[in-house]
Amino acid sequence: MPKQTSRRVVFQPATYLGFQRGINQIVEVIRPTLGPLPRMVAIEPTFRARTPELLDDGGVISRRITELPDRDEDMGAMFIRHVLWRLHEDVGDGTATAAVLFQSIYNRSLRYIVAGGNAMVFRHHLEKGLQLILDRLSGMTTRLDGKRQLAHVAESISHDHELAIVLGEVLDIIGEYGQLQIRTGRRREIEREYVSGAYWGSGLLSREMITDHTRLRTQIDNAAILISDIDIEDPYHLAPVLSAVAHAGIPGLLVIAGGVSERVTALLLVNRTSGKFGTIAVKTPGGIADRPGTLEDLAILTGGRPILKATGETVKGVNLQDLGRARRVWADASGFGIVGGKGDPCALRGRIASLRSALTLAEDGSDRELLRQRIGNLMGGLATLSVGGLMQPEVEARKELAKRTCEALRGVIREGVVPGGGVSLLACRSALQSALGQCTDPDGQAAYRVLIRALEEPTRTIITNAGFDAAEVMSEINAAGGGRGFDVISERVVHMSEAGIWDAAAVQKAVVHRAITATALALTIDVLVHRKKPPQTADNP
Amino acid sequence: MTETPQSQDIVYSIAASPNFRQDGICFAARGAGLSRSEDGGITWQSAYQALNVEDPLMTTSVAVSPDFEADQTVFAGIHGGVLRSVDGGRTWQLAVLPSPPPLVSTIVLSPNFARDGALLVGTFEDGVFLSDDGGGRWQQWNFGLWDMSILSMNISHDFSSDATLFVGTESGVFRSTNGGRSWREINFPADLAPVTSLALSPAYARDGTLFAGTESCGLYCSRNGGESWTQLGKGTVTGAVNALVLSSQFPVEPHVLVATASSLFISRDAGHSWSCARPELPPNRALSAVAAPQGLHATAPLLVGLVGGDTLRV
Repeated sequence: MPKQTSRRVVFQPATYLGFQRGINQIVEVIRPTLGPLPRMVAIEPTFRARTPELLDDGGVISRRITELPDRDEDMGAMFIRHVLWRLHEDVGDGTATAAVLFQSIYNRSLRYIVAGGNAMVFRHHLEKGLQLILDRLSGMTTRLDGKRQLAHVAESISHDHELAIVLGEVLDIIGEYGQLQIRTGRRREIEREYVSGAYWGSGLLSREMITDHTRLRTQIDNAAILISDIDIEDPYHLAPVLSAVAHAGIPGLLVIAGGVSERVTALLLVNRTSGKFGTIAVKTPGGIADRPGTLEDLAILTGGRPILKATGETVKGVNLQDLGRARRVWADASGFGIVGGKGDPCALRGRIASLRSALTLAEDGSDRELLRQRIGNLMGGLATLSVGGLMQPEVEARKELAKRTCEALRGVIREGVVPGGGVSLLACRSALQSALGQCTDPDGQAAYRVLIRALEEPTRTIITNAGFDAAEVMSEINAAGGGRGFDVISERVVHMSEAGIWDAAAVQKAVVHRAITATALALTIDVLVHRKKPPQTADNP
Repeated sequence: MTETPQSQDIVYSIAASPNFRQDGICFAARGAGLSRSEDGGITWQSAYQALNVEDPLMTTSVAVSPDFEADQTVFAGIHGGVLRSVDGGRTWQLAVLPSPPPLVSTIVLSPNFARDGALLVGTFEDGVFLSDDGGGRWQQWNFGLWDMSILSMNISHDFSSDATLFVGTESGVFRSTNGGRSWREINFPADLAPVTSLALSPAYARDGTLFAGTESCGLYCSRNGGESWTQLGKGTVTGAVNALVLSSQFPVEPHVLVATASSLFISRDAGHSWSCARPELPPNRALSAVAAPQGLHATAPLLVGLVGGDTLRV
């Protein structure tokens, strides 16, 4: 039987109209959540007995909308949904700002293009305007330092005072790259814990190796480390290594391996001498894709050589020079740590620098997360945040908020802050005004006008959401002069930087970049092609 | 009784009472223990007599409280711990550092030690340990400090407000702006490391000036908190910079003293020009430490520690 290949094809003006309606529906759902006094959006639960999910995060809200009934509208909705979710994953904040910016630019641009404007030339000028805005934002960026300033920004992002204070301290300590685990806590308040050294979430291969039965972990000082991804089946392969370590007077051996047989486990256990010689075996950390890189990191950190399954080596031929060394190694059921690796610090410095370069080039969110984890591990230190609460939905929401705020704070450390409340975007209007004055092309002039108006949209929305008249307050702000905006908490026009109201510069730049590039792309969509059968509904995490 | 230096001995560091001009008290941390002088460094006695130890207790660092006249507090770094004296170095209490036993390389006290009780020790293999109760309890804080071989450490004079300190390591220089709880690598060229000595301008919070002495590449200065570095004394200050001292009035009085293995160099113009002051050394002796307890005026005495364990007043 032949495959069903027929499609429904939609041309202009139906393309623009359908796409626009879909975009507007998503943005109007997210719009009320912008600002420090957001409205909530209630999402119908999956199961009838459960209460609605109350959300104020644009990224998560857009993710919850998986389908619109009209298929033309659905394509527009899914387009903006994808843009917002990617932004959410990459920088953790700014989705509502991006949504209102996108909508303003798209709707006004569409009006111009439908009236006869050249979409391609218009797009080119939008992108030129984007560069002017990014340059202007860079020019007004201020570096922040210290837990108090970070906590201040955290509070403006999360509107959760307790969480902001803790995250300010934690991010001040772990920095841009440091590892942070966010767990469900047992107590109502938020707790944090710091662990020195590098940590991998790959635990003991046998619980019998636990020597500290109070803390359920085991530790060796000045240990040797066998770094490998090989499944060690034969105890006779490992015995010479163990013997060499013991004869060298080294107090213990950490075996990192793909797996160990019961006989190898028995060999390791039988060779333990209380207080004199320790043995630990843990599973090789990392997934298939990142395992070689992780083993290389371990080797550089500890001064050892990775023994890789792929090269056909076995542990039988390993000698002392192949083993890494560290001041302290420890392991429990869920992971292992290395403190004071004895690798060459200059090689380590080079490794960290190359991973940082790779991070700046990485585009995929999960690749970036993996690279950041690796950098954090090599730099040393792990912080754990335990988030508690009365009910599970509250805890989960707070954990998600902590994660999102943490991402934004990493951006603050990396790139600094700009005045908050949309004021940084208002300040970019003058650069576009100058460009408009010099531009003779009608499509260019239209593009700059659209951008100038769109840059006001986040501030207007914040004001409206807080229950004030946007037109009235905007005229107050414009009269008050540069750097000033509306503090919806104190209900006054204030100098935002002096009042400590900031936005993360990295977030603001990402917001503007995504909103404008996505609009520029959306404006050039002329035809929609539907499959005969609609695709499966998008995953809804 | 004056101590006799042993040939394999070395003076690791020298510290003097802030009131040295009047009380003449100073200490020299040596491979053979800790020496104490009460006459401005002319004669020296063991400060460990009360400990009754049979073998020499290698002491790798010593620091005196900024409020020594009132609190009589001295700290000495040894293998595995820190000794604290609250009677000017006559009797000692041991604070054990967390296992595995670290070897202390340097000790710095908060300029506001009398009030905040904060002090930090750097170690040769285990990074930095902090105490905020005057040396009773210690915690290891090495977030971001991926090179844990600490060779030098210096603290901002405005530590109580800027919480800033620097460490020099095998591979470069790290800065903490939160009192030593976390560290960030600063832009010091890797090929110039190890960094054996560090000195911060007393006005660091305003002028961002710090000096770094290296093991084999001479002396460097940054005037922007470590973002960029320029070499000082090129062709003059060569070899390992074992010690660095800035005038307490720097930059108003821009005097800088550098000790290399064979010479003392002094600059009166923040490092632009240098004059060599080669002290008369006993045969086969090299300079390993220096202190300027009365400042860097032409007539002020210097205390110079040597490989071999001698301490000279020059």
